Amino acid sequence: MTVRPDRWGLALCAVVLTAVCVLKSADAARTPKGAPEALLGVWVPDAAPRALLTSDGKAPPLTSEAAKVHAERRQRLAAGDTSFDPTTWCAGPGMPRILTMPYPFEIRADSNRLAFIHGWYRWFRVVDLGAGTADPPLPLTMGFPVGHWDADTLVIRTGGLIDATVMDASGLPHSEQLTLTERLRVLPDGRLDDRITIDDPENYTQPWQTALTFHRDATARVTDDVCPDRMARGEPAEQIAVSKTTASRAKPAALRTAAVAAESAARAPRIAGVWEPKTFGFMVPDAPLSSAGQDIVTRNAAAMQAGKIMQTAWVSCRPGAVSTMTMPREKIVILESADEVTVLFEMPRMVRRIRMNASHPATLEPTYVGDSVGRWEDGALVVDTLGFNGYAELDARGQPTSPKLHTVERFKPSADGSSIDIETTIEDPEYYTHPFVINRSWKKSAARHPFEYDCMENPRQEDFENAYYVRERYRPICMRVEGEGVALSKMVCAVRNRALQ
Amino acid sequence: MRLGVRIAAGLSSIVAACFSTATLAHHSTAEFDYTKQITIKGTVKEVQWTNPHSYIQLLADGDGGEKTQWSVEIGSPTLNINMGWRKNSVKVGDVVTMNLSPARNGKPYGTLRVLTFADGQTLEGVAARVGAGPSGAPPPPPSTKGP
Repeated sequence: MTVRPDRWGLALCAVVLTAVCVLKSADAARTPKGAPEALLGVWVPDAAPRALLTSDGKAPPLTSEAAKVHAERRQRLAAGDTSFDPTTWCAGPGMPRILTMPYPFEIRADSNRLAFIHGWYRWFRVVDLGAGTADPPLPLTMGFPVGHWDADTLVIRTGGLIDATVMDASGLPHSEQLTLTERLRVLPDGRLDDRITIDDPENYTQPWQTALTFHRDATARVTDDVCPDRMARGEPAEQIAVSKTTASRAKPAALRTAAVAAESAARAPRIAGVWEPKTFGFMVPDAPLSSAGQDIVTRNAAAMQAGKIMQTAWVSCRPGAVSTMTMPREKIVILESADEVTVLFEMPRMVRRIRMNASHPATLEPTYVGDSVGRWEDGALVVDTLGFNGYAELDARGQPTSPKLHTVERFKPSADGSSIDIETTIEDPEYYTHPFVINRSWKKSAARHPFEYDCMENPRQEDFENAYYVRERYRPICMRVEGEGVALSKMVCAVRNRALQ
Repeated sequence: MRLGVRIAAGLSSIVAACFSTATLAHHSTAEFDYTKQITIKGTVKEVQWTNPHSYIQLLADGDGGEKTQWSVEIGSPTLNINMGWRKNSVKVGDVVTMNLSPARNGKPYGTLRVLTFADGQTLEGVAARVGAGPSGAPPPPPSTKGP
């Protein structure tokens, strides 16, 4: 019998083959072609310029209108007024401003995304390596960066940048038409070179290029920086000298067991991607409060019943990691590599670093995010966290935590990869009589990119007029006060210059 | 179950039913009286498209011709986008009518229910998604929008 190929069958085959090719090429596009390893790690600014210049050292080609705006800002700057720059009150720096700040950043990546984790107030940006273009539905402080590899150069195109930020500390303006094209590569001398082409026809007569360089420093690390705490201590929102925190970082310890090691090594990425809450909750209703814990909750409830607005760590823009365990919100991005699972939270903005197959250091400096170590066990990522600073509430009733807090999370991805169930055991003998468990779930998000939450962007005076501060630390440093009549609002920052409570 | 916990738990379920998680943000709304509604008309002085909350500053027409500046919370960028707004939906100089729930403290401050443009088009504010509580009830427990 002769088999005659059916024309429709051939057509179908062609369609299928084409689809397979397209999918494969899409898949290939998501795989870094260059040398991402060369870019990974901590980078420290060489110069952190206060004023950007073109790459050949000239003044940027401002339009006449933009030049007037810039000149007025420079005058204000000379008089000590930096209020044109949102970083003054710990709001988002934007791009490329954050690259000009004297703080280190760390680049981490998996096959689909690359993340810049900045050393200034928990900011990060997630570069999507799989999308051809970004179509931002709303402008963001850090925009919507999309990247691809051009040989050994990472090219990042960023649009969707909100115009409330400035491009450098001198107040160089930009509009929402701004598009940044960065070309990042490691130079032969080992430094990182970021050539940025700035295209903003509203403010510049032509596209122009600036260059920023960064170096490695083995002692530098990116820490959980909390700007309002620094301001409360009387420090500036942005330091002038290049910062590098030299505190020792725990080295990965010996693996717990050979079996755990084998499972971890064999594990392909299971939880990487963009996720959003499947189950929701901002109450932890059955926590076994101790008498000390109950006293605090009762006090909080009395203030609430009196109509006070409760100010928790979350509301005061310094949330702790435990709040993300009890009150999942908005999208998260998880990057997974052999040594670390990195979780980037949209709201509240936070970066959690989970060191894989490691142990906690013998001495821990307390922080809002704590020290997290993880391992794969029975198909679940088990994350153990210690070293919290005790400034976090479990829920909207202000159920407290102390530095004795210890959490164990079990991230269990579903077999089809569409969701993650997270069982969290919370132990804090200061405020709870025994450990208790809460369950939350995340589902795979269709979004390729998170939005962002700039908690300090607009601290309105009205928000604090009837406030009840759960902890003294949560008092605001800066407030926006509305002007009378046609006068615009202004930001008023108190000088605290005191030890943190 | 104690009353406070019961109110909080009940509120939690009501809010969860009314909102997607994307709509929930930041702090308590106890400062507003959702049992009341007032309507003001005027010219937009400033739009603050910001976190944690977005505002419109409205120069409202008073009875005697004087202008009163109102601060009207409209939501937050992510929330408003999900409700059909765009950053430039309302512009400085627009003449609009705003139906809102006022602040309990009697100041020219409120949370938007519905904004109506001169051509009759409307946009809902975050308060449009919050049901009014019983009249005379104590202030709603905090964190109707989260912690």
